[in-house]
Amino acid sequence: MNYIQEGFITAIKLIISFDRDVYEVVFLSLKVSIIATILSSLVGIPLGFLIATKEFKGKKITITVFNTLMALPTVVVGLFVYSLISRKGPLGVLGLLFTPKAIIIGEFILATPIIIALSISAIQGMDPRVRTTAMTLGANTLQVALVIVSEARFAIFAALIAGYGRVIAELGSALMLGGNIKGYTRTMATAIGLETSKGEFGFALALGFILLIVAFSINISLQYIQQKRK
Amino acid sequence: MEELKLEIKDLVKIFNSKKILDIPSYRFEGKKVYSLYGPNGAGKTTLLNILAFLIEPTSGGVLFTGAEFRNSVEDKRNLIKEITLVQQNPYLFNTTVEKNISYGLRIRGMAKEGMRKRVGEALSMVGLAGFEKRKAKELSGGEVQRVAIARGLALKPKVLLLDEPTANIDEASKGILEKVIAEVNKKYETTVIFSTHNLSLAYRVSHEVIPLFEGRIVASPVENIMQGKIIKFNEVSVFDTGRVKLDVVAESPEATRISINPEEILVSREKISSSARNSFKGRVIQISEEDRFVNLVVDIGEKLKVKVTKKSFNEMALTVGSEIYLTFKSSTIQIF
Repeated sequence: MNYIQEGFITAIKLIISFDRDVYEVVFLSLKVSIIATILSSLVGIPLGFLIATKEFKGKKITITVFNTLMALPTVVVGLFVYSLISRKGPLGVLGLLFTPKAIIIGEFILATPIIIALSISAIQGMDPRVRTTAMTLGANTLQVALVIVSEARFAIFAALIAGYGRVIAELGSALMLGGNIKGYTRTMATAIGLETSKGEFGFALALGFILLIVAFSINISLQYIQQKRK
Repeated sequence: MEELKLEIKDLVKIFNSKKILDIPSYRFEGKKVYSLYGPNGAGKTTLLNILAFLIEPTSGGVLFTGAEFRNSVEDKRNLIKEITLVQQNPYLFNTTVEKNISYGLRIRGMAKEGMRKRVGEALSMVGLAGFEKRKAKELSGGEVQRVAIARGLALKPKVLLLDEPTANIDEASKGILEKVIAEVNKKYETTVIFSTHNLSLAYRVSHEVIPLFEGRIVASPVENIMQGKIIKFNEVSVFDTGRVKLDVVAESPEATRISINPEEILVSREKISSSARNSFKGRVIQISEEDRFVNLVVDIGEKLKVKVTKKSFNEMALTVGSEIYLTFKSSTIQIF
């Protein structure tokens, strides 16, 4: 039990002393996951909007596919992207493997289906009068689309938070694609894994605490948004 | 584009292989108030939606001051901005009243100061001055309707279309909206076309009442609608509703529906002998006043609405339960 106690104390010391190694890892984790979430939403929200509002053959199957992809195993995504960007892979020349960009690609693939699927349900859940109201006030096609997204903003924001929550604490693909290189591609999750296996509980616990705070604040903001909707 | 005239030409809308609108021709002159009067399913909302470009007619169309809009996409875009529809049970965006009302102005690129002025003006007109910062979600049903109308008024359109503006709202809001329709027409010279199933409102507020029934413009407001079939087809045919049999003048034995204008029905205490072929004994089951008239609902097997003057009503000393005779000519019965 003693080492747990020691671990907690070390954790608090590391946090309040603004330990460089700890904050470097936290900063990189936040950076890659925020960039990945932004990229996912740039693709996911418009795509979700189009799927929700357009009638086309295979619409139901498309929605089912994206709902299923929400459960993509992170290791499989890691493996898939690895095979593409490793030196022997078709995109090997780009030299992406073991860089933060590689982690972003993996996280982008994980977050996008979540944002698409939740955006579809957000848009489909909108009152059909939103569209006709904007039209009767003289809005063109783009303006109508913007009004619909704006009215669905709480549900769409919840989709972003869910996508972000998926990638911030993600271990499998970040480890495989980033390689856990200190000061370069080490994220909170990969660092916790490594430090724990090294027996460095203090460092691992400090990161664990921070990861908890980040994950909880995501959850709290999600609940806050949903309450505001009511 | 000074005055915007709308002219309906051979307008047909078919939905689920049923003809729900069929208007060969009608002309809305500018700067007037029109009401579309008719029961549910008469095609009022469909007509308003077509005029507001929300739905396309199956054939025919609407001409705007002579030029058919469909000829040019740009024409259509400009026209959409001159014609605003306030839908029945309107939707307010989930934000403040001010942002709701200024939405149409914002997408037209109006400057902030101008928008604020227009919003204030529109809110005063509907009796909601000072409501700018209120949240749309916190408004009552009547307030929602009034804000939605203010949102249309703020655009100062050439044509304002209102779908059942006084349905499902409180009496105070109804009175205000009635005044707003008259005021917007006078102040901004806006052509107003509104739908209603309240005939006295239609006559009170509008220059012209357009009675609609089953998608067609009919000669007079259709009331006392009864389902049934012709059981004897002759010079004078017999229409059987299942509860009463009426003498009618039918052109075809296929008719399934008839209507009787409440003003064409004669009320008497005693049975009168006349040339009118229909005379029924009934009982008064409902009495309501309307301006100088009294509306009676009389049960003759079918419930018929009858309109009498207040003077006749008082002279006959009618009360709920009074037994009376209703008499009307077979030629006054409209057949569909």
